[in-house]
This record gives sequence, structure tokens and C-alpha cells, in this order.
Amino acid sequence: MELCLFLGCNTPAIRPDVERAIRATMPELGVDLADAEGYVCCPAFGSFPSTDDDSYLASSGWNLSIAEAKGLDIMVQCGSCYSSLRMGRDHLAHDEEKLARVNELIELTGRKLECKTKVRHVSEILYNEVGPEKIAKTIKKNLNGLHGVIQYPCHTLFPSEIVGFEESPREPKALRILTEAMGATVDHYSRELQCCGGAGGFSKSSPAEATEFTKTKLDAIIEETKADFIVVSCITCLMYLDNIQKKLNEAEGTDKYHIPVFDYNQLLALCMGFDPKQVASICTVPRNKVIDRITAG
Amino acid sequence: MDFSQSDKDLWKQIYHTKDLLHCFNCSTCLSGCPASHGDPPLLVRNLARMVVYGLEEDLLNDDTPWACVSCSRCEEMCPMDVKPFEMILAIRRWQTSNDETRVPTAIVEIYKRGYTQSVGTNTELRASLGLPELQTITKMPEMLKLYQEMLMKTPVVSENDYMFNEE
Repeated sequence: MELCLFLGCNTPAIRPDVERAIRATMPELGVDLADAEGYVCCPAFGSFPSTDDDSYLASSGWNLSIAEAKGLDIMVQCGSCYSSLRMGRDHLAHDEEKLARVNELIELTGRKLECKTKVRHVSEILYNEVGPEKIAKTIKKNLNGLHGVIQYPCHTLFPSEIVGFEESPREPKALRILTEAMGATVDHYSRELQCCGGAGGFSKSSPAEATEFTKTKLDAIIEETKADFIVVSCITCLMYLDNIQKKLNEAEGTDKYHIPVFDYNQLLALCMGFDPKQVASICTVPRNKVIDRITAG
Repeated sequence: MDFSQSDKDLWKQIYHTKDLLHCFNCSTCLSGCPASHGDPPLLVRNLARMVVYGLEEDLLNDDTPWACVSCSRCEEMCPMDVKPFEMILAIRRWQTSNDETRVPTAIVEIYKRGYTQSVGTNTELRASLGLPELQTITKMPEMLKLYQEMLMKTPVVSENDYMFNEE
């Protein structure tokens, strides 16, 4: 199958090793990726969705119509991009007046939007289209003997009516099963469904309280599991959970917080034998221990 | 709370859905909300009350809707289908249209280069990872012009056009 890759901002700009991991792994699993040339901000919830419908949905329509012109569905990794695009599409698909207005606005591109293009999350594609069996068969190395914990991206769970793909948003399992498919043992913990806290204004307007909030999650992982790594599938979860551990250590004068964080496709790329320098090199918490175990295995 | 200044029809301006009136302040929206731990806390149920009671001035001056992380837990869990995340966005929109200092600076960045940050300029790093050059809208000046032309027809950009004029 072929999908249109929507990269957003953070992945290509700050963590391009995640982009590399996605571009390397998906075609190996039979998912070819086409670029969305000339795409714009999804748009982020703190931007046009916070000002008016016209600018919000015109930007959604701009992006959706790029994929629609190629006759492809969109694949996204970033949770916020996924949710914004999917909610934007939902508004347009259920409101003829709004869709007509957006078509009026994007007319100057020569493109027309019919809302045929669907918006899909990379973890959903991996779970539903590729499947754990194919992943297990394709990888050359594995995560045997390693323990992982999952951070589910909120934006792929809630509101389940619009963005969801899990059987139950209260008991998601896709990322766990996908991680187990590579041989890892996935440990559960009490704060598994707690938001990373990294998106939106919270971490900027209340930095001390936001850090404390995420600390409760990391403490639960440390106290309740044997986690060698955290698996995410959202660029905000990845950057936030990775970067905050150094901050916590500095604030508390410890080195207690040092759990490496990986995007799912990064672990997949490592297990497929891709060069760690290309697919998993940008991080704050060192990843050597996990990477060495995988490459040695 | 001063009700003498309250505008009973304010909710129709801000978030015109009868669902809002079903809110009975149960606080499910606070459970699991990261920003409810903030200082000041984002208290979604209080905002719903303020909208229903029509406390215009208090609402205009309230920064907490902007602390929302957009996780949409409240949207999922609300037993009365108030759609609290939609309400948060609606309050931000109403604040923005009534107070230009609320216009998010991010939209000026998006207008200028298509994104909230500089995408596609890290060519060397990308090349070292084996990545192709990205066809961003910033590198397609004709296309960026069309995007700006389109945005100029939308309320927030046309009404605050002075913020977007390039020197």
C-alpha cells in the first residue's frame, strides 16, 4: 500500500532520526510513502483552531487536499498533527457548508477537497495493516530479554469517536502487542494512561507543576516495572519524556531518571538492522545500553 | 461572584450548543487533566459555569484555557457530552476575537513560513542521517504566497492584518 507521509514540524526539524526510522522501516513492511510537498502546519491546536473555523479548516483542507490529489490516505506520527487533521477532516466531512467554504478558500491552489482522504496514525497502520506477525518475521534482531513500558499517545485515544482505533480507549493494546512482536516483555504500570503533559500551554505556563506531574509517571515506571526503555509513538511524548529526565535529575541532585525513550519505529529500525547513528542518534537520555543489546543480539 | 454584570446569553456567543447546559459540574473533566495541576489550575467545570452564567469580564481575563494540553480526555469522559475540549477552543476563539493581545504569535510564524518553527533548514543534519531535502512550503515561494493569500481571507488574519505585513 502507499500512503502520504505528513511529517509536521518537530520530527523533521528537531528529531529527524525519527523521520529516518519511519522512512526506512515502512517500505520494508510493504508500506510505501509519498511526500506531501508544500504542506503547512497541521494546524497546531494553539494556533488557528484557537482563533476561528475559517483559518483552521482552510489549513486542514490545504493539507488534506495535497494527499487527496495523489489519491492517498495520510499517515502521521505526531499525536497533535494526527488529532488536528483528523478532527478537521471530521468537521468538513459532516458539514457541507464548512466544506464548501474551505473549497472556496483553497480554490486558488487548483485543488478540490471531497474528504475522500483518511487520516491514519502510524501505530494504527502497523497494527491493522502490517500486523505483529509480519513484524516478527521481518526483523533480523530482537528485543528478547528487554523490558519496555508503553506511553500511549492521548491524541490517538481521545475522543475515541473521532480519533480512535483501539477496541477500548480505556484499555489500549496496539503498541504493547507491536512491541511484544519484537520480543520485548512489556510491563504494565499504574500511570500507563497518564498524559505525558508535554503538549499545549501547561508546561510553559506552569513549568514547576508540569515537571512534578510527569515525575509521578516516571516514578511509577521506576517503582513498578523493570523498564529498560519507554516506547512512544508521538513526537511530543518522545521529546518531552526524554528531555524532562535530565531536568529532574538536576533539580533533585540525583541520576535516578535515566530511562531511554524510543519512538516505536526507531526500535523497529534497530531490529531491522539499520544504522543506529541514522535512526536513533538524537536523544538526551543515553540509549547505548539498549542499542548495544539489540545490535549484539 | 458578582452576577449583576452577567450576560445570560453569553453562552450563545461563545459556545452555542445546548450540550453545555447539561453540565452538572460533576468534575469528571478534571480527573486526569494535566493542566488541572497548574498554577493557576485549569478547571474546566468552572469555565463551563462561567460561560453559562455569562461572566464576561472574568472570562475575558482568564488565561487558563490556554494551558490545555489538548489530550481530549475530558471530551472522552464527560458523561453529559458537553465536549469540553471543543468548549476550551471556543472560549479561546471568543477571547481572541474580543482581545487582539490574545492572538497567538504562532499564527504569525505559520503565516510567514508555513510552520510554527523552522522546518527543512537543517539540511546538513538531515543529509548526515541519509534524509532527502524536504519540499517545504518555505522553499516554494509561489505556493507560500497562495497560502498567505488564502489566510488573508480568514477572520483572524484579515482583522489583524497589521500583524502579518512583511517589512
